[in-house]
Amino acid sequence: MPGFSSGGLGGEVGGPASSSPRRFHPSRYVPVSAATTFLVASTTLFFCFTCPWLSEHVSSVVPIYNAVVFLFTLANFCMATFMDPGVFPRAEEDEDKEDDFRAPLYKTVDIKGIQVRMKWCSSCRFYRPPRCSHCSVCDNCVEDFDHHCPWVNNCIGRRNYRHFFLFLLSLTIHIMGVFGFGLLYVLHHQHQLDRVHSAVTMATMCVAGLFFIPVAGLTGFHMVLVARGRTTNEQVTGKFRGGVNPFTNGCLRNISHVLCSAQAPRYVGRWRGKQTAEVQPPFLRPPLSEAQLEAKVLDNGIQNDCHSTRSKSSLEQMESQSADAEPPPPPKPELRYPGLPRADTEESSLLSDGPPTPSMYKYRPAYSSPQMNHTALTHPNKMIRGDSLDSPSILQSSCQPSYRSEPSTLDGGSIIGVGVHTGGRERGEGPGGTSGTGGGVSGGISGYSLGGRSYTSYPSSLVLSTGGSLSSSMRSAHTHHNTLGTLQSEGTTDTSYKSLANQTPRNGSLSYDSLLTPSESPEFESAAHELSPQKPHTSAAFPPVTTFSLPAPGVGDAPLQGYTSPFLSAQMAQQREGQLLQGSASFSSPHRAYLRAISPPLPTPPPHTAHPETPHLLHQDTRHPHLRASSSRPLPPVSEQPSPSSPRACSPDPPVSPPPRGPSLGQSLSYTREAGLQHKARPMGGGGLSGGGGIRGTQAPQSTSRPGLANHSTSKPGGGVKKVTGVGGTTYEISV
Amino acid sequence: MSTEFHNLQELRHSVSVATKVFIQRDYSQGTTCRFQTKFPSELDSRIERTLLEDTVKTLNSYYAEAEKMGGQSYMEGCLACATAYLIFLCMETRYEKMLKKISGYIQEQNEKIYAPRGLLLTDPIERGMRVIEVSVFEDRGSSGSSHSSSVSSGGISQR
Repeated sequence: MPGFSSGGLGGEVGGPASSSPRRFHPSRYVPVSAATTFLVASTTLFFCFTCPWLSEHVSSVVPIYNAVVFLFTLANFCMATFMDPGVFPRAEEDEDKEDDFRAPLYKTVDIKGIQVRMKWCSSCRFYRPPRCSHCSVCDNCVEDFDHHCPWVNNCIGRRNYRHFFLFLLSLTIHIMGVFGFGLLYVLHHQHQLDRVHSAVTMATMCVAGLFFIPVAGLTGFHMVLVARGRTTNEQVTGKFRGGVNPFTNGCLRNISHVLCSAQAPRYVGRWRGKQTAEVQPPFLRPPLSEAQLEAKVLDNGIQNDCHSTRSKSSLEQMESQSADAEPPPPPKPELRYPGLPRADTEESSLLSDGPPTPSMYKYRPAYSSPQMNHTALTHPNKMIRGDSLDSPSILQSSCQPSYRSEPSTLDGGSIIGVGVHTGGRERGEGPGGTSGTGGGVSGGISGYSLGGRSYTSYPSSLVLSTGGSLSSSMRSAHTHHNTLGTLQSEGTTDTSYKSLANQTPRNGSLSYDSLLTPSESPEFESAAHELSPQKPHTSAAFPPVTTFSLPAPGVGDAPLQGYTSPFLSAQMAQQREGQLLQGSASFSSPHRAYLRAISPPLPTPPPHTAHPETPHLLHQDTRHPHLRASSSRPLPPVSEQPSPSSPRACSPDPPVSPPPRGPSLGQSLSYTREAGLQHKARPMGGGGLSGGGGIRGTQAPQSTSRPGLANHSTSKPGGGVKKVTGVGGTTYEISV
Repeated sequence: MSTEFHNLQELRHSVSVATKVFIQRDYSQGTTCRFQTKFPSELDSRIERTLLEDTVKTLNSYYAEAEKMGGQSYMEGCLACATAYLIFLCMETRYEKMLKKISGYIQEQNEKIYAPRGLLLTDPIERGMRVIEVSVFEDRGSSGSSHSSSVSSGGISQR
């Protein structure tokens, strides 16, 4: 049985569910019903009224030809409608063993030399593979996500893109045939136009003519996409504009890939054979190598692979050393595998494998190493040796499980984590890392340089990248951890930010709220899940936070060279994020998708942590002013937020000065400066904080360029979402 | 005799998954299905490098063959078009056949190599081809232990 699964109804068959049971949305079936009705009814009328004459007076091949084309159209239409587009099953719990708020929001992979970001999907609990996107209408991550088509009421992804494309082609041909032969009939019956047959033929011609323009336009659009090897999502969000598309293999190969490649398998609803391999102790063990034996001896019994980074081992040693100094924190509530040292989770293996993630981290505690045993979680203080009191609070706040369920992507927030992580990690590394991360506060340390150092020293240098400067700012912010106490959570409402804002920054710098303006630009692909709950309070009080990486207005159009440098790519990625948000993958997703994401309040923090992550992040933001004060870096003039050059046609947002592309430190500085000017900020201070990768579950990512997308009712009134009708009647919602 | 049997049963029930190691996809050559052959450090003490690397390399070759765009996939596509995709009701695609082969291979590897070492590979298709999940079982030694950990979902099989 082919892998059919209804895209509209919650057809789940066995295996990990691809999504929770869906409610019945009758409105979703209107377009597909209308399309089906028009197609079948018009063609039937054509066959009944026009074809008899045609077969007699023109040729008998005509009806046969039309029948074949019609059947081909219908078959592809059915396949596009009912076939599973390539839905990823939700990741199992064990894949996400590490608390997700400690993990970065993005991971970077290198595809043919081009850095591509993989974003954490908070609903599906994994890092989205390249070209994968989360459809908010279907509530699934779809492989090679193209778009969600309302006319077939299904996502178009890897498995059914070919059918969709062929459907468009064949429908265009079919429409042309019906129109052409109908015209032929009418021209020959000009004197008999009052007959039923003629009237019906003319009606059919009208329908065909009406649909021809959008369908042909959409077909042409997809022909271009196929030739270029892009998906609609990538095209609309402008991912590769001016850059290099790493997924293209040349025009001919792209076309043959679409048309001739093997039918991809289903991931959900598979029949799972019982894997029966007996596992019983005693287990065989490989002989230890000399190096391993040495490592064991040196580590005082702490299991440590010689391949593990110096930082990891040194961090662990630090942990054990500092354990004596401070009282042990309450034990971590969840401890699934107490036996072995925390080995890889899915994310950690990603961490160690890929190049450093240049983009932000939601939140990145100092010891983001996956090998951190559980004590590390409960002893955040120990990780950041050099940092004073601040780190504990920060780290503690990072331990908030409330963030797990939060929408992930706050680019700004991610930076914070980077900073923390970098700080802690560097401390642990000792020789490898930068000492005195606090020096970052002094304003001399460029984020990149910091990142560079940790980069070399620690493989999972996700922390690096642009977050570097943030890390320094975070360190400086450490002193203000108290201010975080008032914050409930990262995604809290205005009150939390306001409470933070109300607190006098110790260094007298700008209030934190300027940095923490919640992002108003939802990420379309994950809109429903990742929208920051704070969207409701994207009031003007909060200046928009452009991610530090926001380039100048022209940057978006400038030839990006794809993602050439990790840092650059991070920045661009952020911008892409914003653009992505604007050009939502699920073009037809209703506003409620966003509202849905916004509405659920953040869960209460776990008992053992005093502060939610937000305070921590906000906390760091407050340091930015301090950092800013100390730095003499000039800030770029406030300028219009670069409008993405994509067809999104977002109206320009309130001026957001794109931070300089230089070291992230400078960027963070520019953020703080901008804070007052911008009214949109990501929650968790995307701008200043930027860096923390940790809080995956929190706010919606604030893509740099997103000017208040405000589709969210609670956000600025009238900001709203602009609906742009694309080719073929697809509606794109672009937040304005 | 009966005591021995009882101990064995205790042993069997006491094996549980200590941790899971994930072998990620290797995207360096695009989105074709490939897994990283880099040996995860956590398994250093559990299995020889070469064994795991061979397994992963073999899997990669199987996947590459499944996704290969050659004559057979083209013919399948044409046939499917010609029959309005009804052929999928009767016929198994090449990819599906390869997946069955891969599943059998993984099963065989588990039985021969990984289970004796307290490891278990999970077919990546169950994880959406994103990771190869290696379940690492606790090594309790031969006598019954006082651990009360529950049997993991990693696929422990009971006879």
